[in-house]
Amino acid sequence: MSSAAPDAPLDQAAILATLRARVARLEGTGRAPQEARPIPVCDDLPLPGGGLARAAVHEVLAMAPGCGAAFCALLLARTGGTVLWIAGRRDELLAWPPGLARCGLVPANLILVRAERWPDALWAMEEALRCPAVTGAVLALTWEPNPEGDNRLDLTATRRLQLAAEAGGALGLLLRPDTAHPAPTAAVTRWRIGPLPTAQAGAGLDEPRWQLELLRVRGGTPGGPWAVTWRAAEGRLDLEREETASAARASRGASA
Amino acid sequence: MTGQPCLLPAGGPGSRRFLALHLPCLATDRIRRAEPDLPTDQPLATWAASGSRRVLVAVDQAAAAIGLRPGQALADAEAIAPDLVLRPADPDGDAQALQALALWARRYTPLAATDPPDGLLLDITGCAHLLGGEADLLRDALARLQRAGIATRGAVAGAAATSAALARARLDNPVVVSGIEAAVAAPLPLGPALRLPPAMLADLARLGLRRVRDLLDQPRAPLARRFGPELMDRLDAVTGQRRTAIRPATAPPDLTVARDLLEPIITRASIDAVLDRLLAALCARLRQTGLGARRIVLSAWRVDGVVQEVAIGTGQPTRAPAHLRRLFAERLEQLEPGLGFERMMLEARATEPMAAGTQTGLEIGGRHDAAAMAEALAQLLDRLAQRLRVHRVAPVASHWPERAVAALDPHAPVPAMPAGWATPGLPVLRRRRPEPLEAMALLPDDPPSLLRWCGMAHRLHWAEGPLRLEPEWWRARPDLRRRDYYRVELASGVRLWVCRAGPPEAARWLLHGHLP
Repeated sequence: MSSAAPDAPLDQAAILATLRARVARLEGTGRAPQEARPIPVCDDLPLPGGGLARAAVHEVLAMAPGCGAAFCALLLARTGGTVLWIAGRRDELLAWPPGLARCGLVPANLILVRAERWPDALWAMEEALRCPAVTGAVLALTWEPNPEGDNRLDLTATRRLQLAAEAGGALGLLLRPDTAHPAPTAAVTRWRIGPLPTAQAGAGLDEPRWQLELLRVRGGTPGGPWAVTWRAAEGRLDLEREETASAARASRGASA
Repeated sequence: MTGQPCLLPAGGPGSRRFLALHLPCLATDRIRRAEPDLPTDQPLATWAASGSRRVLVAVDQAAAAIGLRPGQALADAEAIAPDLVLRPADPDGDAQALQALALWARRYTPLAATDPPDGLLLDITGCAHLLGGEADLLRDALARLQRAGIATRGAVAGAAATSAALARARLDNPVVVSGIEAAVAAPLPLGPALRLPPAMLADLARLGLRRVRDLLDQPRAPLARRFGPELMDRLDAVTGQRRTAIRPATAPPDLTVARDLLEPIITRASIDAVLDRLLAALCARLRQTGLGARRIVLSAWRVDGVVQEVAIGTGQPTRAPAHLRRLFAERLEQLEPGLGFERMMLEARATEPMAAGTQTGLEIGGRHDAAAMAEALAQLLDRLAQRLRVHRVAPVASHWPERAVAALDPHAPVPAMPAGWATPGLPVLRRRRPEPLEAMALLPDDPPSLLRWCGMAHRLHWAEGPLRLEPEWWRARPDLRRRDYYRVELASGVRLWVCRAGPPEAARWLLHGHLP
């Protein structure tokens, strides 16, 4: 912090690096102090730092339950450690380990948490992110219509989660249904994921295609939508070439 | 004063000492405690319907003094005492109150039992010296119950039944040495001493047998033939010939530390401070004995004789005060101090051997090591499990979707995945209850071509299947039907896992999961 003192030699590169680190720390993207590498999402996506920052909270808006859960499982599996899946106690949709194992999230690394009330779920998420032995946690919001709406996940709550993640170093994911006007949150990135028609493109339903969109990113530029294919056998997300992607968008637009 | 842990002596049954407490007016005392506005000089009784009659069930001392007694008709009682206060009898509530008092009595000994319907039995072997002797312990218990508004008589003897008989039949709260049970029981009247059914008591009275001594003088065989073995059993118990076991209200703990407080405490801060000291003492004791606690109960004795308990459990044996304090911090809100707590006790109800040195700090030289990480995870799971349902999943080798996963304790090791468990094409989310769908198929065995879901009709782009699953015949579940699973893709790209269940003529379509 004090390396930019006036009596230091004018080493411009060093000063710039120091300032960048300082800005990153102030912004709280969590990248600077951690030696841990970011989580790769997809090879060719233009993400700041090359992937999702650990020690930060990211938000995933899912247009359908299946693709959102699979995307989160994929990212959590890439953290390489113990992962908590936090959901509502009475939620109709259960995270299903055989399918999650296909995403790389094996049962040995998975702990399921079911919270009776929403404050309990938030508390569990915060405790999990703060624990150094946990590498990732997802808070899955219900898909059922709920009177409280989605504004329960407000700026204050997500800011707390972000601070907890910075303290513990875990990757936090907020998986929520894509609604028309999601409330602003303190998450570092906000993604939207939706399914794309897959079957006719070739391999049946075994290699699903998704439409991925980076709606918001701190310290970077939003982008997308991109069409990606998940190759389950190789555990890899492939970015499609531009022309096929735009064709997919066109077909999607036509069918909608 | 800090109570020493109660070690059970290894002596034979002859060396045990029992304290019996008799609560003659428990039902009415309970009502007076609940309704402090009742005038104390007015007689009080409870009643219940017995067939078509309404009779008194319990009377307090004032009512007994003017001649009321249990079993009397309600109308007669009201004629005798027009100002009699009446309340309906609540036998379940009385039993609960007795159980609560047994928990309260654990302040004297870990082996405290109820003696229904109106007594407590305490095995005070080896505990009396903590309060300066058996007589002082008895006096202390009687005084505390009296202050709490519960009329009590007590007795200490070398056999449980003898002490219970003395407490009921004598008014002077005697303390009797062991070995003379028969002698002290002999002059007692049969009714309170043996607690016989009224019919049997009447028969015995007709024969002129009114005291324990009268029975002892009779030849045993004709008595047993005439009145059955139960009478002889009770007689032998009272005279100390036959040892009876007591069943403690709670199993005795492995380790105990307790603290008596000079001033009753009310505030959370002072409760925290006492808990800190108790935890430090308990953890030091655990370390000495090479144990770690799995289940710890904090008991708090309120001034008015109510005991409150807060329990925590841990997944791994632990003796780290900081961790235990955090677990308790979640739960201490449950305590209601009322007028204040006068005694707090911490018990390790379940312990396990624990190797020394596994409780390291979280960071060693700035570097997280594997053992510290495992401990941090175990502590996180303990904290979460206090409030939420936390579990790991065990893969089960079963093709039936509902059976493929079993919940596992979060601290347990996860078995390996069986072959074929995570096959391609399985959903990532499963519906807890499959949701009924309307589907149209061109032919009965064809995949569907149109789905009606969430009130909207969806054209299908693609369907793969069927994957036919038969119920597991080795598990007797006749309600389960054969299912044909299809993986379908709607025109919007949404991919679902649907199935057709039941026989072909009455098939139902169900949405069972969501594919990636």
